[in-house]
Parts: sequence; C-alpha cells; structure tokens
Amino acid sequence: MAMAGRAIQVSSIIVILLGIASGSLSLPPDRSLHPRILVLVDDLTVKSSHSLFFASLADRGYRLEFKLTSDPSLALTSYGEYLFDGLILFAPAAEHFGGSVDIASILDFVDSGRDLILAADVGMSETLRTIANECGVEFDEDSNAVVIDHLNFAESETDTEHSLIAADTFVASSAILGEKGAEAPVLFQGIAHSVAPANDLVIKVLSASASAYSANPEVQLNGPPSLSGTSISLVSVLQARNNARVLISGSLSLFSNKFFVFPFKKFGSSTSFQRSGNQMFAEEISKWVFHERGHLKAVNVHHHKVGNLEEPSMYRITDHIEYSVEIYEWTGKTWKPYVADDVQVQFYMMSPYILKTLNHNGQGLYTTSFQVPDVYGVFQFKLDYNRLGYTTLAISKQIPVRPFRHNEYERFIPAAYPYYSSSFSMMFGFFLFGVVFLYHK
Amino acid sequence: MTSAAGNVKVLFSSLKSTYVATPMKLKIVNLYVFCTLCTAVIQVVFVALVGSFPFNGFLSGFLSGMGTIVQAVCLWMQVIPKNKEFKELSLERAFADFVLTNLVLHLIIMNFL
Repeated sequence: MAMAGRAIQVSSIIVILLGIASGSLSLPPDRSLHPRILVLVDDLTVKSSHSLFFASLADRGYRLEFKLTSDPSLALTSYGEYLFDGLILFAPAAEHFGGSVDIASILDFVDSGRDLILAADVGMSETLRTIANECGVEFDEDSNAVVIDHLNFAESETDTEHSLIAADTFVASSAILGEKGAEAPVLFQGIAHSVAPANDLVIKVLSASASAYSANPEVQLNGPPSLSGTSISLVSVLQARNNARVLISGSLSLFSNKFFVFPFKKFGSSTSFQRSGNQMFAEEISKWVFHERGHLKAVNVHHHKVGNLEEPSMYRITDHIEYSVEIYEWTGKTWKPYVADDVQVQFYMMSPYILKTLNHNGQGLYTTSFQVPDVYGVFQFKLDYNRLGYTTLAISKQIPVRPFRHNEYERFIPAAYPYYSSSFSMMFGFFLFGVVFLYHK
Repeated sequence: MTSAAGNVKVLFSSLKSTYVATPMKLKIVNLYVFCTLCTAVIQVVFVALVGSFPFNGFLSGFLSGMGTIVQAVCLWMQVIPKNKEFKELSLERAFADFVLTNLVLHLIIMNFL
C-alpha cells in the first residue's frame, strides 16, 4: 500500500512537471531582463526612418541589433543556443538571408517559443510569403496589389488611389491593445492578407472596413477582387501553442516615423487628427508581442482536505476538498498577480464531474472548495484557461479517489430498521422455539 | 357441482382431523415456520414500497427468514416418526444440528446487515 502511494506521488510530481513544461508557464529560462532582439532590414535607412519605433523598444530595455538581410554573418543560434529572444523582419523584399538564417531556421526560432514581428509591403518576396503561410496568414497572390478603400482613406495630396487607409476596426482586447486602446485611426498603406476562419490561433488585430478591397491600382480589374471587405486583415497576430507570438503586418510604413506624426483628416468625417494612432498602436502591440502583457503563469497548485494542510495521495468519495492555485502575469520586469473572475477548475475523469469558478483574493491566489462526487476512479484537477490575448494555461494534476472502506459506511441506516428488527426477532424466535421444542410436555 | 363442493368439504374435514392428531412438537414447528414466513413477507412488502436502498439489509433480513424456515423444515423431516430415512438419528442429534446451523446462519446475517 505504501509503495503504491509513493508511486502515485512520484507520478503526480512528474505530471506536474510535464504540465509546467508543456504549458510554458514561465518565459524561456534563458531570457534575461534585457532581451536581445535582432532587426533584419533591407537597407539601413529603415533604421532612421523607423527610429521612433525602435527608440520606444530600446527605452523599454530591449537590446536591438540591426543587420542587413544580406549580411553573411547572420545567425540565430550558436552552438545550439539561441542568441536572440525576438526577431523583427522589416525586409519585405528579402529573398535570401545571409549566414545561417533561412525559412526553416526562422520557423524553428518561433517553435522555440521566441517572438517574431514580420512586416510585409508591396513587392514582398516569396520567402516572406512562405513564412507568413506557416504562421497561418495568407497574403494576396498578386504582390503588387494594395489595399484600397474609397470610403475610409486619409486625405493626402500624394495619394490619389485611396490606398492610404485610416483603419479603426480593432480587435476588442485590452490585453493586446492596452488599457486605452487606440484613440485615433491607424494609418496603413500596404498589402492585404487573410486569415482562415477555422484557425483559432490567429487573431485579426486590425481589419479593413467593409468597403476595402485588394487590387493593383495600375491594372484594370477584370472581375471582383479576391480579397475584399472585412475578411481583409491589415495586422494579425498569432499566438502559437507554445505561447510564441508572431505579429504580421501588411505595411512596413505603419511603423515609420512619417506615419507616427502624420496629421490627417479622414475622408467623410469632419474630425481631423493631429496625430494618427500608429505610435500608440505599434507600441502597445509590440508590448504584447514581446510578452510584456498577457503572459500568464500558474504555479503552486495545492489541494487538500478541508481541515488538513498536507496534500494526500488519495481521496475518498464524498470528501470535502480545497483547491488553490496562484496565477501571475508578467509585466516585463516582474510577475504581478493576475486578477480575473472567470478562472475555472474541473474535477475531471473522461468528463468534468465538477466545474467550479475559482475565487481570488486579489493577490493572485485562486481557491475553491467542493465535495468529491460519489464516483471512484482516477480524477484530474484540470485548469484550462484560454482567453483572447492571454497565454493558454493548461494545468492538470492527477489524484485517485477510492470508495468507502468497510468501516466507513453509515453505521445505522434509518431505512433499514425493519431489517434490523426482523433479524433480531428471528434470533429471538429461534431461541424461544428451541426452548419450547425441547421442554414442552 | 354439489359433489365437488362436497368433496372439498370432505377434504378439509379430513385434513383437519389428521392435523389435530399430529404430535404437539410438529405443531410448534409449523407455528414457527408460519411466523417466520409472515416476517419475511412483511419485509418484501416494505421493499416494494420504499425501494431497495440498503439492499444488503433487505437481503439479510429476508434470507434469515428463509434460512430458518429451511432449517425448521429439515428439523421437522428428521423428527417425524414415520420417516424411515432418519430413524437412526435421535431427536437430540437432530436438534443439535438445527442449533448449529442456525448459529452459522445468524452469524452470517449479522455480518451482512
């Protein structure tokens, strides 16, 4: 019995460790407080034309390294260890990368849990198209087609084709866009991509309005365009199952200084904006992509019988138990308690027998108590938390539940009193019968 | 019809006269069996009304009744003077068997309650 108990303890510890490893509860252990980001550009003028964006990243403590895509010394890994924690690809026309970087190594980079920002533009290369495909995003096949919107463009003297769009259809998530959201429309000039609706890992952060379409402005349209309306996504993010985050934008100039400080007036509306919402949008979404917001970890899963504090290796049916877990959110520098009212735990064996919403104490400690159902077997405490913009939490801890022991049943059942009385009367009757049978005359 | 009714009446009166002639001991056994049967039937009615929740309780009560009925019948068979099979068994031996088996039965019943 003791051996079985010890084995169950060890196996539960292994399950916890596996749960932690597979749920990526923490950031990669080699990620420092000043993460290194590699920025790959086509030519170094991008460094100055997008300097506001890079300065905001550097101000938040990231160490940026700028390299040309043709640099022969490019490398993401060295001797099996990754040199960078994030990758920004501001090189829409790059066909080949120098050094040891190629499509496979970039995808491995994302598979290892690290983040990627990819900006495409008119004339994007097949390489970038393939990378985007692997991330669940499909760009328009015609690489010269831009997003055109005749009803939602920003009025400007240089743009006569209405391809400079002022978009304000954002995803409703304060995790991705920050507390305030975007206060002004975001200027966009670039190409369209679409996201398969069955894909629930990719989120359309900024979509085009219903009057937008994707076409080459110099070529006459022969039929309806392949991408149009709100199915066009201008900026999408992917949160992979290992919690790596990928941002894919159809416009490189969305991040540029020019668009950050562009005063414009939207067509058809009388309000004119001194500043576009680009800077705020780019900063907030880069915070999300680099895990400064919306990255959760769940630690210290405890369960015990009400009254005890130690964790038993086995429960009995109809026990009263308490379950507690601590959930924290990464702020970029520290873990702060995560506060939400919709975290639920399941007591699960093939299907959830009990589903309870956890109560939190404001400091990130979530607790609940319930009674084990009248079913015995091997159960799991399953915590599955999937919210838009947050990392997925999938923690499970296994615990067996035994039936009553021989002496744990109810001692005297009121419904059975007739049976008790009949048995005893039978014994008494037998005694009386014996006496009468033997001694009567 | 009248002959049939008359036959039944004759049957009953002959049964009654024979019965009065049986030894007292056997009448005691019959009475014992009858009381046990009543108790068992009451339990069955109770289960039919209330449902079988403590089913092992019902079983122990009912089977104690059945067990003692069977043992009483065995005792009866061994005690009847006309029964040739058990002629060599004395009354004491039969009764001792009866007591032993009853003890075992009640032990089992108490455990199963």
